[in-house]
Amino acid sequence: MKRDLASLSDSALARREAELAAWLEERARVAIGFSGGVDSAYLAVAARSALGPGRVLAIIGRSPSYPAAQWASAREVAREFDIPVLELDTAELEDPRYAANPSNRCYFCKTELWTKLVPMARERGFTTVVDGTNADDLSDWRPGAQAAREHGVASPLAELGFSKQDIRDASRRLGLPTWQQPSSPCLSSRLPYGIEVTPARLKQIERAEEALRDLGIAGDLRVRYHEDLARVELAPDELSLWLEPARFAQLRDALVGAGFERVALDLRGFRSGSLNVLHGVVA
Amino acid sequence: MTDAQPERGDRTARHATTLAAGIAALGVRCALEPRGGLALLLPETGSVEMLQSPDTRRAVLALARQHGFTHVAVELPSDWRSAGRETDAPLLRD
Repeated sequence: MKRDLASLSDSALARREAELAAWLEERARVAIGFSGGVDSAYLAVAARSALGPGRVLAIIGRSPSYPAAQWASAREVAREFDIPVLELDTAELEDPRYAANPSNRCYFCKTELWTKLVPMARERGFTTVVDGTNADDLSDWRPGAQAAREHGVASPLAELGFSKQDIRDASRRLGLPTWQQPSSPCLSSRLPYGIEVTPARLKQIERAEEALRDLGIAGDLRVRYHEDLARVELAPDELSLWLEPARFAQLRDALVGAGFERVALDLRGFRSGSLNVLHGVVA
Repeated sequence: MTDAQPERGDRTARHATTLAAGIAALGVRCALEPRGGLALLLPETGSVEMLQSPDTRRAVLALARQHGFTHVAVELPSDWRSAGRETDAPLLRD
């Protein structure tokens, strides 16, 4: 039977939330790899609710590939929902296997993250470590998931069948500010495979996306890095507006200000994993 | 196998030429710069407005797919306020 992922009924979602609470309660103490994105924010709040503050710990891994705005969102969720937080620095950019930007780049990033995070959690008595992987992610190209498995990291949202939409719906009910937040993978995902990941390039991309947010673009947004060219992906329903020449000029000026020579608007608009398609990693 | 690259380049150029012609037939006059799977459109004056129509965008994307491109983007040139591009042939930079 095929389930409509976009419209799980309230009662079905409530059952799934109860299953998640039970899953968490079976574990003594749970540490969460916490980015402040839609999935990990929901999982952290669900864990805090199920276990109380003494049995949950959200751990943030910080590096140049992690946007400052995302970090601020993570801290805000933790503060608002009284979730204990630890931060650690990760150094994936110092790993030449990561910096070379192969199609399995995420594996090296997540290896660096979990290699540091899991022992840090266990030293503090958190025997279960979880991440925010959801059921939709299982059908996508996610080499980072292998690193999670290798380090014994569990993915209860995926395990219990939570789709992204389920998580947004549940987040909305809980009053999480992240419920309608666009998905926000790391900044390195804007670089085509084979283009070296450097702090300067990540900073340029971050500046560019911040500049576009300052223009009022609130929905899905990616600035894809093609060396001299920035290719902007916007939510499809925003495209017509930004193809009006005067607005397009604003967008262009903002990205030239961020250091790009040329600016183009993608005609299909945002699609998750766009560069995977461009490079034939997925169809 | 030494001929493989030029052959692929020729094919890309042919696809770019026919794609630019097909897009022009939709009312979007532009030069086209192929960058791998990306077709980069360099529009003439007035053509960016044509792309505000979702139907036109869908038609452009469908044409591009038929010509082997996975992505299409339109560049707004820096000089768009003062002058349009008056080109009628694909611009090949690869």
